[in-house]
Amino acid sequence: MDRSLQNAHAKLMSRDIHRLTPSPTEANCFSTVGTIISRDMTPMFLKFSVDDGTGCVTCILWLNQLTSPYYNRFNSSTILLHSRTARRQARDIRIGAVARVRGRVGLYREVMQITTTNVIIERDPNAEILHWLECVRLGRSCYRIQG
Amino acid sequence: MANFKIESGAPITLQELYPSSPFFMEARSLRVTGLLKGYSVETAIGVIEDGEKSLKINTQHLRDVSFRVGSVYQFIGELHIEPNNEAILQARTGRNVDGIDMNLYRKTVELLRQFLEVEDNINMVE
Repeated sequence: MDRSLQNAHAKLMSRDIHRLTPSPTEANCFSTVGTIISRDMTPMFLKFSVDDGTGCVTCILWLNQLTSPYYNRFNSSTILLHSRTARRQARDIRIGAVARVRGRVGLYREVMQITTTNVIIERDPNAEILHWLECVRLGRSCYRIQG
Repeated sequence: MANFKIESGAPITLQELYPSSPFFMEARSLRVTGLLKGYSVETAIGVIEDGEKSLKINTQHLRDVSFRVGSVYQFIGELHIEPNNEAILQARTGRNVDGIDMNLYRKTVELLRQFLEVEDNINMVE
């Protein structure tokens, strides 16, 4: 991928996410759009899966902002804001809804999954179509060279 | 926490569901879209239509979806084929997609398939 895109969220389909090779040096911020097909809530995180028609990808939305030492570096109002945002997003994540998921992709138990930074529920019935078209265009013109 | 694998529902048009089609298989995970022509609250079975083709949808596992005849719905689920060769989709998810551009949807599904096929061929020779 072009280095100028390192700080952008690359739009990928689930199938391509599973074909990524984890790299400590390459950017790993990705965005995908799909139908939520499973939802598993725990006190620490919400695990859900999205199906975009090319595959399914597992996503983790952390809900431990108030207890995790990771957030000690932030001031309390920022932590509260993160916590409220995450809980609001978790509430909106329902089976059957279409979500735009942004986050970092990593390997967990030999399977790629997305640790989400942002989940937006799409109301536009054409959102997935647009995502597919963008992925095809970017796949041909930007992410790799095709014949 | 259960870590089972759920199959992705392949997006298809109803015109592609006929007995010799590769999609016409028991337990095949599919994503179908069509206009709701009828719905029975007693049986939770609906019928969607796209052009001349129709498909029965079993919605008994769906929650929080209200069905309105005349609206367009999209379902993901597994195909069940009855002994008389009639197909019924056991829906896992369903949503109202009123406003979807069906012509664009059909063309995009075709384009997406071609793109994935080309990608597969490239990966095979790499």
